[in-house]
Amino acid sequence: MNTPKVSIIIPVYQVENFLERAVESALAQTLEEKEIILVDDGSTDGSPAICDRYAQEYPDLIRVIHQENAGLGMARNAGIDASRGEYLLFMDSDDTIEPDMCGEMYRRAADAGDEIVMCDVRIIYVGEDRTSTVSTYPRREIDLADYIANGSNITYSVNKLFARSVWEGVRYEKMLFEDIALIPALVTRHPRIGYVPKPFYNYYRRPDTLSTSPVGATADIVRAFRMFLSGGDPRYREEIVYCIAKQLLWNMTQSRPLFQADFITFLQEHRQDFLLNHYIAADARVKKLLDFLKKEVIPDRIICAHIGRPIPEEYREEVCSDFPYAELIDADETYFPAESLPESVREALSAGRTAYAEEYIALRILSERGGIVLMPEMRANLGLKKLRLNTAFFGFEGEETLTAGCFGAVAGHYAIRALLDSYEGTCIHNRALLPLKDRLRDFLILNFHLKPNGRKQLLKHEIQIYLPGVLAYDMKDGESCCKRADLPAPEGFEVVGESALKMWSDRILENWALYKQALGKLPAAERRQAAVPPPTTGISPAELERALDRRTQEVMDAYEHSTSWRLTKPIRALGRIIHRGGKKQ
Amino acid sequence: MNGRVLIVVNSIYQLLTALHLRRTLLRESEADLLLTDVLPDRDRYAGRTEKAGLFDRVLRADCAAFNREFAGKKDSQLDPAFRDIPRKLGWMVDGALGAYDEIYFSNFDPFTRLLACCYYAPQCAFICYEDGFSTYVIDYLRADRAPINRHPEGRKIADKVQAVMLYEPRLAMRGDNLENRPIPRIAPEDRAFRDLLNGIFGYHAPESSADFIFLEQSFRAENIRTNDIELMQLCRDAVGPERFIVKAHPRNTDNMPALLGLTRRYLAGVPWELFLLNEDPSRHTVITVCSNAALTPRIVFGMDINTVMLYPLFEGRVLWKEDEVLRRYLRTFQLQFAGQNYYVPRTVYELRETLRFLGGNA
Repeated sequence: MNTPKVSIIIPVYQVENFLERAVESALAQTLEEKEIILVDDGSTDGSPAICDRYAQEYPDLIRVIHQENAGLGMARNAGIDASRGEYLLFMDSDDTIEPDMCGEMYRRAADAGDEIVMCDVRIIYVGEDRTSTVSTYPRREIDLADYIANGSNITYSVNKLFARSVWEGVRYEKMLFEDIALIPALVTRHPRIGYVPKPFYNYYRRPDTLSTSPVGATADIVRAFRMFLSGGDPRYREEIVYCIAKQLLWNMTQSRPLFQADFITFLQEHRQDFLLNHYIAADARVKKLLDFLKKEVIPDRIICAHIGRPIPEEYREEVCSDFPYAELIDADETYFPAESLPESVREALSAGRTAYAEEYIALRILSERGGIVLMPEMRANLGLKKLRLNTAFFGFEGEETLTAGCFGAVAGHYAIRALLDSYEGTCIHNRALLPLKDRLRDFLILNFHLKPNGRKQLLKHEIQIYLPGVLAYDMKDGESCCKRADLPAPEGFEVVGESALKMWSDRILENWALYKQALGKLPAAERRQAAVPPPTTGISPAELERALDRRTQEVMDAYEHSTSWRLTKPIRALGRIIHRGGKKQ
Repeated sequence: MNGRVLIVVNSIYQLLTALHLRRTLLRESEADLLLTDVLPDRDRYAGRTEKAGLFDRVLRADCAAFNREFAGKKDSQLDPAFRDIPRKLGWMVDGALGAYDEIYFSNFDPFTRLLACCYYAPQCAFICYEDGFSTYVIDYLRADRAPINRHPEGRKIADKVQAVMLYEPRLAMRGDNLENRPIPRIAPEDRAFRDLLNGIFGYHAPESSADFIFLEQSFRAENIRTNDIELMQLCRDAVGPERFIVKAHPRNTDNMPALLGLTRRYLAGVPWELFLLNEDPSRHTVITVCSNAALTPRIVFGMDINTVMLYPLFEGRVLWKEDEVLRRYLRTFQLQFAGQNYYVPRTVYELRETLRFLGGNA
C-alpha cells in the first residue's frame, strides 16, 4: 500500500446525526492519496455502527478504531498512532471540510517544505442562519512573531495540516482545551509555516456544546494557557504572552466569567510577563487585563473540617467534578496540635461538642491559607467558583441567621483573624460553646454593621453577604452555589428552612401586592378583562394563542404601570446609557 | 480618725456606707449623723439609727426644698442661698451642729455648700464618700460644670474637700486632683453588721422575686425616651415570664413594666443592698441597662453574681453614652474589676444567648 499523502483523523463521539456529513466531506476530497481514520471514542449512540459501515464500504480509504471513552485528545492521539500519511489533518466529527482542502494545503506544504500549513475557518452558527469567515492572517506569507501576536485561529487543530515529523514525541494531553495546550506552542516551535488563505474548514458552532457550557473541567483552560506559555518557543515569549492576554481577556469578560478567579490567579502567577509586555502596553483594550492583577481572589481551596465523621463520598465526588483543580484540605482534630487550640476548643473536644471544634479548625485554616470552607453536610456546585472573586463572603441561612456551612476568604483576611482571635477569652460564645453562626452574626453586626434581615449586602465594601438561596438552600435556579445535604428530601423537592421560606414567600407576596395595586389602577372594564381569563371551551388553538397573547400583554401593561416599574425607570435609563457607553468602547 | 465627725446622708446607699464607715474607719471618732429629707423615709431610718446607738447624735435636716430652689440658679440668683448661713442652717437642721474635724458627704448640693461655708475654717476637712459610679467619674467642682461652681460662696467647698473615699479607688476617673482613699469592702459574712442593717432598714424577705431580676432605672422620671421597655420585653421572652421580674425604680411614678404586663410587681420595700446581703444572690441573675445597683455587689461586697449589663443595647440620650469618662469607667470595670459572671452583650442575639447560658429558656 502506498503511503498516503494526508491522513484525515476524525475522533467520533456521540455524533450519529452529524457523522455522515463529516465523513462524506472527507471522502469528497479531491486529493486521492489520502486515508481517513475514524476513532470511535466509546460512543453509545449509532456512531460506532456508522463508522463500521463506512469502513466496510471504503476499506482502502477508511479505517476505524474503537476505544473506551478517553476524550478528544486521546482519540486524536490514537488516530496519530494509527496514521500512515506524510501529513496529518484533524477534523471534528460534527464539522465539514471543503473538497480542495487536503489537495491545496498538501501542495503548499510540499512545494515550500512547510511543516505546518494553515487555512481560514468558516463558522456556521447553527440555528442562527448566519456564517462568518475568520481569516487566519492578513498576508500570504506568515511572519511568525507577528502571527503569534496578531494572527487568528492559532489554537485550532483543525485548520492546520501537520507534517508527521511535527508529532514526533508530541501528543495531546488528556484534558479539555487540549488544542490550546498544544497547538499554539507547536506553531511557535515550527517556524516553517505556510498559509492558504481560503476557508476550507467549516466549523458548526452549536450553542450547547461542551466548550460553551461550563463544567468543572472548564478550568482546564487555565492549565492549557500554562502549557502554551511553558511549551512555546521562549524566543517568542513576548508574543505568546500577548496572544494569551487577548484570549484571557475574552474568556474573563465574555466567554467564561465563571472562571474569572482561575484566570486572575494565572495572571498573577505570571505578573511580570504581563506587566512588562510591550504589546499589552501598546494595546489600550488588552491593557485593561492588567487591572485584574490588583484584584485579590480567594484561593482555589476547599476546606473541610470533620471530627468523628468521615467526609461523605458524594461530597468528594462533587468537589472533584466541579473543582478539579481545587486543593481539598481534609482536616480532623489532629490537624493542629492540641496545645495550640484555645481553651474553649479543647473543652468542646473533651465534652464531645465536635461541631464547635470543627468550626474553629476550619476557620483557622481559612485564616492561615484562604479558601472556601465547605462543611461535610454541605454540597457545592460550580456556581461557588464565582464567589472566589470576593475577598470574604458569608451567607444567610434564615432571616436572622447566617450559615457556617459554607463561607470563604482570602488568606490572612483581618475579619477572619479577628473571628479566630475571639475564640480566646471569656466571651459568651466561648463560655457557652456557641456555634460559629452566632459568633459570626454578632461579630458582623458589631464590626461591619450587618443588618440581620436575610438580604444580600456588601459590608464595608469588602465582605459580601448572600441570600439564603445562595449558600444554604437551593431556592431558585441559577442562584444556589451550595446547599445543605444532611436533610433528606423526596426526589424533586428541596429542603428550605422555615425562616428562609417565610422571608421568600413574604417577598413574593410583596411583589404580588404591587402588581395588584397596579392592576387596581386600571379602568374597571380593562380590570375585568385582565382579571377574567378567556373562556377555554369551544375555541380554536389559534384563538387560544391570541387570547394568551392578549393576557400576557395585559400583565405586561399592568407591570408597566406598577409603582416599582415607575420608580426604577430612572435607574433603567441610566443603565441603558452606561450600557451604550460600554459598547462604544 | 479620733476627732469629731459629721456624716451627711441623702440616700439609702449613703446611709449604708455611713453605717459601715462608722463601724470601720470612724469607729474611734465621735460621730454625728445628719439625715436629710432627700432620703426617702428619713424619719423611720433616723429613729431606728438612733435606737441602734451607733452615733452620738442623729440629726435631721430639711434641705430638699432649698436644694431644689437653688440647684439650677446662676450668678447673682445664687446670692440669697449663701446669705445668713448660720441662721439658715439652724432653721434647716433640728439640732445644733457641733465643731467638727471632718465632715463626710456625698453630694455637692447647695446644702453641703452651705456647710462648707459655715465650716470654712481650716481645721474642718470635707471628705466626699462614694455615692455610686458618679463619684468615680464626675468632677462635680469643675468650673464649667455648674454656675454654682463659679459663685464666690458656692465654690468655697472646692477649697475644703480633701479627699474622696471609694470602695475601689483604682476605678476613679474624675480627672480632679483629689486624693482617693479606700473604703474597706463590706464583708457579706459579717452577720453583726447585717443584723444592724436589717434592724435599721426593717428588712424582710421580698414577697416576690425571680431568677432574673431586671433593675429598672429612672429614665421615665427624668423624661428620657429610651428602649428600656423593649429590652425588658426581650429579656422576659428569652427567659420566660415566670422567671422574670422587674424591680421598679422608686423615682418612676408609674410602674410601667407592670402596667404593660411585662412583669409581676416586685414587692420588696427594702434596699437592694440588703437583699444581696440576706438572700443568696448566686441564685439570681441581675439584668440592668446601667444601674449602679448592679455594680454594688462587686464593688461594695466583692460578690461575683450573674450580672448582665445592657448599656450597649440601650437607645437614649444618657450620660454613659455621651460621656467619654463614664464609658471608660464601664470598660475598665468590665476588664479589670468585674468577676467571672459579668456579661455585657453587644447584640440582641448575644443577649439571648447569654440569658440562655445563664439558665433561661431561649
